[in-house]
Amino acid sequence: MRQTGFALRLVAICFPWLAAVLIAVIPRQLVRGAGFAAALVSVAASALLLIGAPARESLDEALMVLFSSLALGATLVIPKRDCTRAAIGGMLFVLGSTLLGYSAGNLLVLLAAWVLTTVPFFAARWFAVRTWRPRAALLLSSAALASAIFLIAVSGHSMSLDRLKAQSPGGLHVLALLTFAVILRKGICPAHAWVADAVEGGPVIPTVLLLNGHFGALLVAKVIVPLFPHAARDLFSALSYLALFTALYVAIRGLTESSPRPLLACIALSQSACILAGLESRTAEGITGALVHLIVVTVSTMGLFGILRLLEVRFGENLTTARHLGLGEHAPRLAVFFVVFGLALVGLPGTLSFCSQDLLIHGTLASHPLTGLLLPIATAMNAVSVFRMFTRLFLGKRRTGFTLMADALPREQWTLAAGVLFVVLGGLFPSSIVALQSAQAETVEQATHRENIYPGINAR
Amino acid sequence: LDVSQATLVFVVLAPGVLFAVFGMLWLMGWAPSERVISTATGLTFLMSVFGLVGMVVGLVWTSDDSVTVEFGNWFAVHDYRFPLVLMADWLSLPFLAMTVVLSGLIGRFSATYLHRERGFLRFFLLLQLFAFGSLLAFAAGSFDLLVGGWEMVSITSVLLIAFFLQRAAPVENGLRVFAVYRACDIGLLVAVFAMHHWAATASFHAGLPELSARQSMIVGLLLLAAAAGKAAQVPFSGWLPRAMEGPTPSSAIFYGAISIHAGAYLLLRVQPMIARSGLATALVLAAGAITAIHGTIVGRASSDAKTSLAYSSLTQVGVVFIEIGLGWTSIAIAHILGHAMVRTLQFLRAPSMLHDYHAMHSASGGEVPPTGQHLEDLFPRSMQLWLYRWALDRGHLDAILERALVHPLMRLSRIFVKLDRAGLRTPVSPSGQYAVSMKTTAGGKGDS
Repeated sequence: MRQTGFALRLVAICFPWLAAVLIAVIPRQLVRGAGFAAALVSVAASALLLIGAPARESLDEALMVLFSSLALGATLVIPKRDCTRAAIGGMLFVLGSTLLGYSAGNLLVLLAAWVLTTVPFFAARWFAVRTWRPRAALLLSSAALASAIFLIAVSGHSMSLDRLKAQSPGGLHVLALLTFAVILRKGICPAHAWVADAVEGGPVIPTVLLLNGHFGALLVAKVIVPLFPHAARDLFSALSYLALFTALYVAIRGLTESSPRPLLACIALSQSACILAGLESRTAEGITGALVHLIVVTVSTMGLFGILRLLEVRFGENLTTARHLGLGEHAPRLAVFFVVFGLALVGLPGTLSFCSQDLLIHGTLASHPLTGLLLPIATAMNAVSVFRMFTRLFLGKRRTGFTLMADALPREQWTLAAGVLFVVLGGLFPSSIVALQSAQAETVEQATHRENIYPGINAR
Repeated sequence: LDVSQATLVFVVLAPGVLFAVFGMLWLMGWAPSERVISTATGLTFLMSVFGLVGMVVGLVWTSDDSVTVEFGNWFAVHDYRFPLVLMADWLSLPFLAMTVVLSGLIGRFSATYLHRERGFLRFFLLLQLFAFGSLLAFAAGSFDLLVGGWEMVSITSVLLIAFFLQRAAPVENGLRVFAVYRACDIGLLVAVFAMHHWAATASFHAGLPELSARQSMIVGLLLLAAAAGKAAQVPFSGWLPRAMEGPTPSSAIFYGAISIHAGAYLLLRVQPMIARSGLATALVLAAGAITAIHGTIVGRASSDAKTSLAYSSLTQVGVVFIEIGLGWTSIAIAHILGHAMVRTLQFLRAPSMLHDYHAMHSASGGEVPPTGQHLEDLFPRSMQLWLYRWALDRGHLDAILERALVHPLMRLSRIFVKLDRAGLRTPVSPSGQYAVSMKTTAGGKGDS
């Protein structure tokens, strides 16, 4: 059983890597198909792993299924113009590396995955960002994590996450470095600006794939909580305040942003910060809400950025939310997909985020009765920003010079419909998803509450 | 499930199922004809009306107080439960009946009124979603579930305000209304949390959560904020005239009948809780009284029929708030039902107002006596002029909210943008050029 699990994990991780290499030599018209096939294999292997995993220890597998499905959808939605060998290869490389990170039971493997996911973003031809901040943030976060792991190694402890549980290896210095890595990677204030820069200048869909790996949250759930339970309790308050402040700061910042990509980045970042706030609430509701919200944010932001890129390809890249563009006349189904994904991100009833927001708000308010109020306020502002973006892009007078319908193509339509169905059906029947995350949440919660019980989330 | 329970489930779910089916079919590329969608809508609400009549007869026959359907927990985490309970008692039944009757009538009216309108299907889909949201809110057995229906009503309301999507004004007004709704809904969310926190439940099908006097006051005030936002009470009244940009049938059902009274329903539901707190009661009375006076003054200076009717609605809802504050709940329910029916009729007749006036003019032999001067005559001339200016600007409520809240927030946002871009050259957009002209057409005006 153990060997089968290892083999499946190997397939899920290595297949995308192999495909990324192969894609360099195959004809361009086959690139999308090859990428799709590789991602599909990853999805299948991850799904088999999830089926075989015990409920309390299935967070990694659930994340693997989610991320590989996301990559699968990305290979279908990515417009023809962007579907180059480099783009698909890079996405598959990020997919394999992210799955490696989710599977890591060893600090060195985790560091390798952390660094590997950032590698494509240092290739200037692939990631043509205009500011220095994204690369600096990724580099510094990797350096901070590497330093923390080096200090753990020097202090003579093991590299195995299982053996290091509750050991507080390296003490406060290591904890500070790990926290620094989380802040940088997750885009927590004051290190938040790189996210908007990355999305604004770089290739949208691959960049969102990187951001949706949620490695910052993973580091909290997988390393900080199990390894530093005592210190984490005190640190969590500070991190929680920072996360809540980030959620509000970025939500306010988004109110006057007129460029669609940074605006969407602000909304996504604000909602992502809510995940961290929930994880740090130390309540079962908050942590479960955070884990469910991670799923919602991942699917919704991928859908939103995908639709935005499709609009850019059809109507030009200088889209703005400063005035009404009336694109809904030409792309009514994209408009509907956009509004559903957008409102699903901010707690539309009938979608999965309604449940996750409900749990998040309860958990955060229970642990921080006053500062927890920032969460519903930030979410309300994000909802206004989402709706403003929808109205400005899709409503208003129709365009001249563009008489044809430019709605979603069948492959885009079916992929986006699958995403919408997931968030809607997940919202109508949330009990299984919530129960799955709830089992994990109790494990994380116990790690911060009890002294002798550290079952961890990586006990295999 | 017995017959009554099955009927309740059908009444609540039917419009939602219809919305989901038609919506998914449209997304997959099939657009139903006007006849199909209007007939399906009409039949659904007709069956719902018969179902509700049967349910009322059943309740009277069995002398029961309510029909309750418990589906267990929608989801549960640790000690926290989200109960899925539907309930039809003597408070919710009038609201359920009002919703299905008026939704059916509006559906029938709109089949003709919006014939060949480009957004015909969209209107009916939103009407179904709105009916589902309203029925869910009124039939909810817990505040958790009520929030779901409540927010669905908000979203459909906003999407219908922006129905004529080629014109900028309705779209911008929809955004404005959405912002007010979301801001006020924070009160509801926090109140639900507070009930869970203090009483470990937010269900009310077996009685309201047990709270101390201080806790009741806090929850009551939070719910009052939510109710005031939804019912456009002062200081949130500014959104109501903006909401008149939507098509007339939606204005009728939202702001003449159902949505505008949802806030009153919420207060009726928690009236015992509010009655325990002097402060909450005083604030309910004050909000109602101020809104009633505000509505009647501003309504008299409104120059278009729908806005005038909207402010008349506001006045009546203000009076309903007073009745709730005084504990006259039965009178409040009767007032709501009567008001909703009359106001819906007035809204639906609003586009024919000139025609009606001419008919009345002819019938009265060319002389229609002026009415409504008695209130103005109570004030001296100088006061009348001052009040007129005040009413024209709708009590300066929008200006006050903008100066106190919106402008500082926007200023703060701009500062944050500058901070984030500090040390960078002005970012330029991605490399592409316009693929199509971004000029707008000269025409493209929608129906008003």
